[in-house]
Amino acid sequence: MAFISNSKIFPANHKTIFVLDHTPYFGISCESPIEFEFLKSRAPGFIPFNPISKSLWTCSVESAIEYCRIVWDLFPQGKLIRFFASDTVAHIMNTWSPSQQNLNHVMNGMSLMGVPPPIRQTQQSKDYSVVHGLRAAIEALGECTDLQFEKRKADVNAKLINKCRIICITSARDNDSMKRLQEIFNNCLHAHNKAALNSDTYLPIDHCHLVIIHTFPVNIESQVTQQPARNISSLLTTEVYPIKAPQISNKLSSLILQHYELASTTVTGIPMKEEQNASSSANYDVEIFHSKEAHTAILKGNTADSLAIRTVKEGLEYETVTLKWCTPRGCASSELQNCTSMYRITPVEVNSRPSLCLINFLLNGRSVMLEMPRKAGGKITSHLLASHGGEIFIHTLCTARSVLEDPPSISEGCGGRVTDYRITDFGLLIQQNRLLPIKSNYVGGLPSSIPKVKARLGRHTKYWPLTISSTLIFNLKNYIDPLPSIITKEKITDEEMVQCKQVIYNLIALESKHEPLHLANMGQRSKGQKREEQYKIMWNELETLLKNNCHSETHKMVYNCLIECHKFNSDESDKVELDQALRELDQMAKSDSDVRASVIRATTDSPMSPPPLASIASPMARNNQNRAGGIYATKRSLYDIFMAQDKSKTRLDFAGRTGDNVAKLYPNLKIENDRGPREMETE
Amino acid sequence: MPTVLLLDVSLSMVRPVQISENVEISRKYLAIQGINAFLDCLSVHSRLEFIALAAFSSLYEERCAFTRDYNAIKLELQKLEDHDKTAIESALHGVNQLVLGEWGNNSACQIVLITDGNAGIGPMSLSESFSTLNHRNVSNPFPLPFSFPAKLHVVCIAPPDDPNLMKSKPLYQRLVDMAGYNGSLLIPEGGLSEASVVTMFQKLAEEMYTSFRGTLKCGNLESRIMLSPAPIPYIKVTDFDSQTYVLSELIEVCGFIPISDVGSPMAISRHLILPTNNLGKENVPLSMEIDLTSDDDTTEDGKNPSFCVLLHGALKVENMSALVTVGDNWFGFIYSWADSKKKSNLMLTVLTPGSDAIPWLGDLCHLDSTDNLPPDQIGSFPVRPSEKRSYSQNGVVWIRQSGLQSDIQKILRHARKLPEKTQQFYKELNRLRKAAISLGFLDLLNGLAYIFEQECTQLPGSAHPDCALQLTHAAEVLRKTQNKDIKFVILPLHTNYNSS
Repeated sequence: MAFISNSKIFPANHKTIFVLDHTPYFGISCESPIEFEFLKSRAPGFIPFNPISKSLWTCSVESAIEYCRIVWDLFPQGKLIRFFASDTVAHIMNTWSPSQQNLNHVMNGMSLMGVPPPIRQTQQSKDYSVVHGLRAAIEALGECTDLQFEKRKADVNAKLINKCRIICITSARDNDSMKRLQEIFNNCLHAHNKAALNSDTYLPIDHCHLVIIHTFPVNIESQVTQQPARNISSLLTTEVYPIKAPQISNKLSSLILQHYELASTTVTGIPMKEEQNASSSANYDVEIFHSKEAHTAILKGNTADSLAIRTVKEGLEYETVTLKWCTPRGCASSELQNCTSMYRITPVEVNSRPSLCLINFLLNGRSVMLEMPRKAGGKITSHLLASHGGEIFIHTLCTARSVLEDPPSISEGCGGRVTDYRITDFGLLIQQNRLLPIKSNYVGGLPSSIPKVKARLGRHTKYWPLTISSTLIFNLKNYIDPLPSIITKEKITDEEMVQCKQVIYNLIALESKHEPLHLANMGQRSKGQKREEQYKIMWNELETLLKNNCHSETHKMVYNCLIECHKFNSDESDKVELDQALRELDQMAKSDSDVRASVIRATTDSPMSPPPLASIASPMARNNQNRAGGIYATKRSLYDIFMAQDKSKTRLDFAGRTGDNVAKLYPNLKIENDRGPREMETE
Repeated sequence: MPTVLLLDVSLSMVRPVQISENVEISRKYLAIQGINAFLDCLSVHSRLEFIALAAFSSLYEERCAFTRDYNAIKLELQKLEDHDKTAIESALHGVNQLVLGEWGNNSACQIVLITDGNAGIGPMSLSESFSTLNHRNVSNPFPLPFSFPAKLHVVCIAPPDDPNLMKSKPLYQRLVDMAGYNGSLLIPEGGLSEASVVTMFQKLAEEMYTSFRGTLKCGNLESRIMLSPAPIPYIKVTDFDSQTYVLSELIEVCGFIPISDVGSPMAISRHLILPTNNLGKENVPLSMEIDLTSDDDTTEDGKNPSFCVLLHGALKVENMSALVTVGDNWFGFIYSWADSKKKSNLMLTVLTPGSDAIPWLGDLCHLDSTDNLPPDQIGSFPVRPSEKRSYSQNGVVWIRQSGLQSDIQKILRHARKLPEKTQQFYKELNRLRKAAISLGFLDLLNGLAYIFEQECTQLPGSAHPDCALQLTHAAEVLRKTQNKDIKFVILPLHTNYNSS
């Protein structure tokens, strides 16, 4: 795509190397003593001790570590940083491997290496220089990271632009030596690329951004002047900043915003209990960093509004956007907010009391809305801070007008006026098909479970009438439970099979006792139902359910049980082929245009269309014309037509009922075993 | 999708066009006729679309805010005056502001730039804009690509063989490409006439407002649906990769997740799901392929049960959302959404492509239902990352002096409450010591030893005897240089007071 620049696809911030000067000079004090005011006030007898100052080394290490803390909090993967220290040789603290991309690893490396060697032992012959580190860094930038390796492996000829950044904290004598350092670096870079041409293991470096921080104790004047970004060669852009040692971190904070396209938000007006006086609370501010994108919506909107919330903090170089804490009402997580973006955040001062207070508030599962004041008056809720699984995110809420303004309700559209959907039953299906994560230590190498869960839903909906009035058996829960929930399982145990069979036996027993079936959902309205018809429909629908759920041999045994126990209309004439039905349908349609319309309805429920409740609904509808759900009430369905045809053929009554003869039960047991009584399949 | 009509009102638009021997009309007149035809098309097919009208010359002016009242725009068109020259760049800046102010940076919009095939001359001309493209900085960026997903259509009221147009065509095409999302460049077919311009605009309207029709499927239950607004392709840019994703016509339910577990993830777009019945195939089982479409008219849509409505009802009652696939390795959520009023709807939230779109749900490809798994493999939401973030790690940061001061104060607070706080005292002491060694801040250890010794001399008479013993012990160990190993741990001194 033409409108996405290379710098976005091949960012320089994929690979960063800190080269820290570990020469003896860095062992000197930065001359900025730590204040111990709290000790002075203790007692008059306290003897003050020599002031303690951090060394230049301590200042550079802690600032570099802080830079990493922010990066890795915001980008747990894919933004790699390495640490090199340089004295007489280069010391390498970590590799590009993700397992070494964490603060603990780097800190351990630092403590193993220790402080810079003392100055008095320095001999002229010893070659202390930051150049060793820079050289090693160039070589390291030529190494493939896991991601680059993958891309290279996937397509050898693919364009892979290797961009990177080096942040070097050192100290130079003057501008000339700084210039020489850059030249040496530039030469090394070109030399590397030459060597990389003939190498399989090393990548050439397409561009390197070298940021040099020249640092010195607070009581010294810098002989090096600031140098804005300039291109030394096509491969190299350098910039130089002379910074007093205690200020390195501030400088890196403003650089990190450019390097990773971050922005700062200051959450203002956080009510917090005073440490000294727990009954009162004061308002505090907490500054956080996150991707710049989180601000796009509010900053690009109304210019006047966005100007009002942007300020530059004292002593810092970057802008922060001030948004107001909005005391949360209820639980914001209970609904899906309209979020246009979300990014991880990290507090700028991770250990300050206000930061800790906000962080703990969020980590405890509460969320905070942030408000932006409007010039025109009023305010707008623009962001949401919330933690998910121990990570804190800033969500950008949609503050603009919605294109979905004033939409029609779902009840105004297709199917909107049907009022007897099986909502409760579908709720049950939803609960049965809830998804949960597989524990991460079991995930490795597992194939995607998406096809599996889709297949599972398929199994659960093999026969699933949408409305109450289009089913009978699902309204007879007190008779057929737990059969429907068992039969949709992938595998059923012998015990469950027996349970299912028991359901069938019970129904047989009830029928033989001439007990009417009481509809659970419909209460008194089923009174007009003729018992025999009810049973017939029930058996047919049950047969459809079981036939559609023959997932295993055990399932089939349940189905066979039904076929064996209940005598379906097995006469030759009853096996109505579908095309024949349609032919007859066509003839009927000529006389009655309503019929075909109802055919559509009869086929609109779910696959393997159920025999609709028409024949039981009709009498109900006659009793109660107002029943909204009775959409089949006055129209004839495919099933009606089958049944009508059925009745035209005379059928023998059950032999046992016709006289005093003892009837043989299941006379057609053998032939029914392997086929259904109503062959409706079209195939 | 909201649309901005951006009409060129420079003087060149009033140039006459010879229609027949004695009839001359202006390009502006043709453009207005075209726009009217465009609006007429919309009022028939897409009455809910928002349209705005802006006019530009060297100035940019918003003439009609976004509205569904197309007549208001038609009236405004009659009131347009003629101005100086064409300056496309500033006009595009204006559009950018107009859309951002109204719809934010997330709603896709269409921009129809109507001009006469003359891209301007001198400063502020399009060729001038492009020639300075590489010298832009933050203060004067080029307006394209827009700050929101946008399709740009450039409509030229010019005969195909116009020499100006020949020169401008590549420039226009470059604009369209820079905007992305497959915009278009339109020129009336077969010469410049009222009919050809009207046809061109009608075609554009048809092309711009094709609705998305697809199928929502949940196992064997399904429903034909329409998405509103129609989704547009999404370009996902990651480090070392950029891919375009197009929404599949089959949206398939995988399973269900409580709304409270879903959190509020980032959505690249949201769409209303409207069940349709236009093919007469609503819920027709796949196995029975009977063509009954001809009888569609006799059925009443509202009374035909639709799976969408059932799904909506059940999701609302259960407070659940359905995880769906909307493409290859691309997911979304369907849930019940209510406008501020009482009207409730089925909504599709489309996530960023990839199964890792929501960190706290883990890999979406590795979600499963409980009875598909042995109990020891089932996790729970939210999924936690393998590593803790710095803010939940109690790390050491001494960049600001207050950080170091409060760490020392904490240790001294514990020291005064020895021996009860022996554990805490040594825990904090070792934490500080480890950090000091890592940062090469060895002076701090000596300083702390000195503070401990001073503390001993200052202890009140009521202090526990163990207090002095432990402080002296700690000071001694801190001073020993051989203990600069990070793995070394300072242990409490065994005394009569704590040995039990």
